[in-house]
Amino acid sequence: MKQLIKRELNALWHDPWQLALVSYIPLVGIFGLWWLFSAGLPRQLPVAIVDQDQSQISRMLVRQLTANAAIIPIHYQDINSAKASMEKAETYAMVVLPFQLNRDLLTGHQPSIDIRYNSQYLLVGKLLSSQLQLSLADGLKRKALIKQLAAGVPMAQAEVNLNLVKTQISALYNANSNYVVFLLPPLLIALGQLLAMLVFANSLNRELRLNTMQEWFSLGTRRVLWAKILVYTPLIVLQGRLILTLLYQYLGLPLAGQFGQLLLAQIVMLLAVWLMVLAIFFLLQDSARVVSFCTALFAPAFPFMGITFPTQDMPKLAQWWRELMPSSHYIDTHVGLVSYGQSFATFTHQVMSYWGYLLLIPVIVFLARRVKRATHDVAAETRCNEAS
Amino acid sequence: MSFWSLMMADLKSIVTDKAIAITLFGGVLFYSVLYPLPYLNEVPTKQQIVVIDGDHSSLSRQLIRHADASPKLDVVGQLTTIDQAQQWVASGKAHGFMVIPENFRRDLIRQKGVTLAYGGDANYFLIYSAVVEGLMSVGIDAGKYVQFNGLLARGSSAKQVKHDLEPIKLNSVPAFNPSLGYTPYVVPGVLLLVLHQTLLIGAGILGAGQWGREGYWQQASALKLILARVAVFALIYSFFTCFYVGFCNYWYGVSVQGDLGQVVLFLVPFILCTAVAGVAFSCLFTRRDLPTQVLLLISMPILFVSGFIWPLELIPSPLVWLGQLVPAVSTIQGMLQLNQMGASWPSVVHFWWQLWGLASVYFVLAYFGVRYRLNKG
Repeated sequence: MKQLIKRELNALWHDPWQLALVSYIPLVGIFGLWWLFSAGLPRQLPVAIVDQDQSQISRMLVRQLTANAAIIPIHYQDINSAKASMEKAETYAMVVLPFQLNRDLLTGHQPSIDIRYNSQYLLVGKLLSSQLQLSLADGLKRKALIKQLAAGVPMAQAEVNLNLVKTQISALYNANSNYVVFLLPPLLIALGQLLAMLVFANSLNRELRLNTMQEWFSLGTRRVLWAKILVYTPLIVLQGRLILTLLYQYLGLPLAGQFGQLLLAQIVMLLAVWLMVLAIFFLLQDSARVVSFCTALFAPAFPFMGITFPTQDMPKLAQWWRELMPSSHYIDTHVGLVSYGQSFATFTHQVMSYWGYLLLIPVIVFLARRVKRATHDVAAETRCNEAS
Repeated sequence: MSFWSLMMADLKSIVTDKAIAITLFGGVLFYSVLYPLPYLNEVPTKQQIVVIDGDHSSLSRQLIRHADASPKLDVVGQLTTIDQAQQWVASGKAHGFMVIPENFRRDLIRQKGVTLAYGGDANYFLIYSAVVEGLMSVGIDAGKYVQFNGLLARGSSAKQVKHDLEPIKLNSVPAFNPSLGYTPYVVPGVLLLVLHQTLLIGAGILGAGQWGREGYWQQASALKLILARVAVFALIYSFFTCFYVGFCNYWYGVSVQGDLGQVVLFLVPFILCTAVAGVAFSCLFTRRDLPTQVLLLISMPILFVSGFIWPLELIPSPLVWLGQLVPAVSTIQGMLQLNQMGASWPSVVHFWWQLWGLASVYFVLAYFGVRYRLNKG
């Protein structure tokens, strides 16, 4: 066995791309994705303001918007230029403070303030819509308070009248709705799964590329496979450990569960990935096609995790496809451990959900035998040809 | 070798090479179904919540009924403590909860302020926002209902009361994607990225399999080979692009506002630039299994620096600059503005020129790359 592991390490050492995949590419990838989202909280997003009233109250409302960290108001003279700036994605929303806003308020009419937000950029649009409404409503409340005071209502009562029903909202497990907490873990897991798939596929493909399938089979099919698993599983788990270190130790994101269980869950996920790659490898037996096919399967793993779009709202077919992806099984454990601090019993229950991958084992054995026979035939033929 | 026969030879090796054919024809079809698949129901509805009713009054029960009637919420149980509610959230049986305090109705009628507490599982932002938005509107309505009745009882007219409760109307309307659907949000950008990536992979595998070997590609000059190859890929991808931008956008209900002529005009440099970049990219490889791997790893970053998921203002500027070199980035930005947000041609023309500029840069790189590969072989 020692020799077989040495053989794998030797192969790894002589393949610069494979070496890159287990060394600096994960580092660059993990750091790059984190850097992309490092702002964490959306703030200072440009909003077009068209102030047609230019009154005391309209200016008060604009000041109110300026005070909101998520918003930078940018003034436009007319609606058309504000609209054009939205179409160019220079601003993500626009607020129109209508002509005679102040006068309508004083004379007892009901003016309306128009807000348009860019829902093509859904994340930003929805966020700005709620922030704009919050800020404006807050400003208007102050105006209403003065009105009540003028009507002779005592201060304490006037405040209660305005906020009869107060609300207290708690975002559980991510108190300030930080996108680093929300998006980064699933993104890095998706990246990790891709790297794992590529590394293992490359290690198998190398035997094809260098024409060493014959050697593999004569050394013992299973023993070489175990050597590959023994070499690459720890290397990939090390990447997983790096991701966890970045998230929960360096960035200090809250972690309710235990580190060890997360690593254990990663090992189970990797074994499932290995089984899928093996089945595809023995089925296709061509390095470019193996990589292409694996890529097609694993590339869209992220949207199917159910973090950005909830699983239960996916169509049935998407939910089935989701079950095929090892990362979707893992992410449930990940969220459960990180946020809910789930028990070991739940953890084992989740590990059981991988049972479907075991069905791949007989398929792999069958396909591997077929490949082995074919390799033997080819080898025998070449020997015959050489002899004759 | 004539230009025409060179093109035919290229086309033949694309179609007969299983790895390339699967990526191009299979990939383009497969992804047109797979990427939009999770989002087909557009918006999350009927999120399960639990209620902790400390009041048990007619008003609190009405509040619960209203919550249950909200399209965003589904009340699945009533519990007694917040701890229990958190356990439900942790086990996935519910995604949020509402706490109605003791003496809720009594305090409201006596004009004392009350506080409703909401909690939601913020591991899933879309679920969280649905829960909070649903509960907020239910809570605001309950407060208004009490105020309305109170003011009426004190002798104000119904019209006056309505006005007093809401002196200014805030009319907030989504623009460009009126249903707030997830498919129209994700699909137009992602499909363009799929076109870009599969083209680069296809050209990459084709080149990597040929450099250093004998074949028709050595019977032509570098310039001719590049032009023929770009022409072949551009031809194939014109059909794919029509399928994606024409049919798929229609099929998935993406809002389309662009003028057909302008959209076609915009996509011409995209296809050409990506094809030229593909030929240049292929010169980096001699192993057929590598191009796919490199592109797979940079797909996610390319998608994010396109700026429609996470705003460009928040992405560190070195990454944004780097993204400018990728044809897909300016295409996605330009196409979203032109076709989805109805921007005018002059306001997106700089993306168009940028694509032509990138095309010429990649052409120079492709020329030196292909010449090097052909001479070396």
